[in-house]
Amino acid sequence: MTTGTISVMVVDDHPMWRDGVARDLSERGFDVRATAGGASAAVRIARTVAPDVVLMDLQLGSESGVDATREIVQNLPKTRVLVLSASGAHSDVLEAVKAGASGYLVKSASAEELVDAVTRTAHGDAVFTAGLAGLVLGEYRRMAAAPAEAEAAPKLTDRETEVLRLVAKGMTARQIADRLVLSHRTVENHVQSTLRKLQLHNRVELARYAIEHGLDAEPQ
Amino acid sequence: MQKSDATAPLWSSVAILRVVTFGFAVVAVFVHQDGYQRPGLAWIVLGLIAAWTLFTVPAYLLKFGRRVAVVWADVLVTCALMYTSVWILSPQQMTEISPLITTVWVSEPPIAAAVLNGRTAGVLAGALVAVSTGLTRGALTTDVTRDAVLLMGSGFVVGLASVTARRAQERMAQAARVEAATAERERLARNIHDSVLQVLARVRKRGKELGGEAADLARMAGEQEVALRSLVATTPPESSDDGSADLRSRLQVMETETVQVSVPGTPVRLPGTTVTELTSLVSEALLNVTKHAGENARAWVLVEDLGDEVVISVRDDGAGIPAGRLDQAASDGRMGVARSIRGRVADLGGTITLETAPGAGTEWEIRVPTGPGGKKGRHRVGGAR
Repeated sequence: MTTGTISVMVVDDHPMWRDGVARDLSERGFDVRATAGGASAAVRIARTVAPDVVLMDLQLGSESGVDATREIVQNLPKTRVLVLSASGAHSDVLEAVKAGASGYLVKSASAEELVDAVTRTAHGDAVFTAGLAGLVLGEYRRMAAAPAEAEAAPKLTDRETEVLRLVAKGMTARQIADRLVLSHRTVENHVQSTLRKLQLHNRVELARYAIEHGLDAEPQ
Repeated sequence: MQKSDATAPLWSSVAILRVVTFGFAVVAVFVHQDGYQRPGLAWIVLGLIAAWTLFTVPAYLLKFGRRVAVVWADVLVTCALMYTSVWILSPQQMTEISPLITTVWVSEPPIAAAVLNGRTAGVLAGALVAVSTGLTRGALTTDVTRDAVLLMGSGFVVGLASVTARRAQERMAQAARVEAATAERERLARNIHDSVLQVLARVRKRGKELGGEAADLARMAGEQEVALRSLVATTPPESSDDGSADLRSRLQVMETETVQVSVPGTPVRLPGTTVTELTSLVSEALLNVTKHAGENARAWVLVEDLGDEVVISVRDDGAGIPAGRLDQAASDGRMGVARSIRGRVADLGGTITLETAPGAGTEWEIRVPTGPGGKKGRHRVGGAR
């Protein structure tokens, strides 16, 4: 995955947007393997073409990009999902990230930002906007404050909180590294770790829910 | 079409009561006719009672009688018919406990009045009928007093029931309207999101890349996109019982091309006045960014809810403020950022810090305690998705 062109799949229910993004990426040397307009189609096609990165819109008509994200991440361990969604869709974005998306980019981002985000996602980095950092911070604090969840909930280290706050205030990884006198890589690792803990916790919670409600039983 | 009336079952009961009590009147005339001083008049009055029953029953059942005029006419006609007992009953019958010509048939008008206009009307109509009973008997006997209590009491109780029924119906109708409006709003928001916003975002993005005049168009499309997005994204203001408001929805609207607002996924509840004050503080800080940090400066607003306090950070990547300039401005007596923002944060019981260096932008951090009122129930697990 680190060599050669990065393969991409674009999922969006709006044809004009979908084709525009696909064209932007093709022009800049990405291998756009497929596009899809709905969640179930996205899951099906992703299984066949196994792209490095899936660009996922969250509002897919009546379907949800969150479910598609979860399915793709579970079935294709090498495929990463980058949410490309309109700003303002807060809870959806948080859900998608908990379901396994590696990052989030607003649709108004420039072509350069998009190229950069897709490349970083393909290399396994977490792509955080300030908005997503604010949501993730809020989610950790919500879990810590909720009596029912506080026990099992993951917690941020002081350093992770510090880094995440700076991301939420719009600083780039480079600026954060300078300010905290850390290496760029260390900053990236802190950011990734906040996501990984959240995703792991979410998987554990889902599994526990399934067992408690008997959903884990094999269908007859 | 008139909307369906919550008191319809009560009106049916009124009609049934009238028919049943008419039966009593008929039986009473048969039983007591031999003792009457004018039996002929008794039959005539009974005929009138039958006629009035025939009019009022359908009037109440078919809605056209559910009016002030009809109900109070009912009270008066009933009282008048009752008074004819003075010429029908013999003096002996009058002093004994023999029933008046109208018997319990008179119990219906106070109930009709109560159903129509509530408990006061019911008690009033009951009092009127009770007074007529007293006048007819020509004395204030135990029977008359007992009748008075029963008549006014039934008017009171039924009036209470009819008001309660109407209120319950109004509340249900209101709840249904709110639900319908919310559903419609969500549908609209979804449609706008799926169509208009996507196109505007696309225009904004492509135009910016093309540059020149297209970039101007892109900027305009971008402004409309932001305006429209905040319009559909802000949930309708919930009228919370404790007068608190969600700080997020007020600050999110400030998001523009150059301003990014980051908030938690769950509501940040604070007293309404605090939310208003913080909103105006943040917009002042952002205005300051555009004035002093330079044309192309970008700004970020971060809202954090720490449970006992709320932290709002406003950062820009502009020119920064030279050390000492804020203090200088304050000591010069100029009403600048320093006095206005600092003083107002202090009024909220909070603190404000400023970090800045020439060329490194500015960063305000406002900390405000949530206070005893604002903290209530903010960390409900139910708020989680």
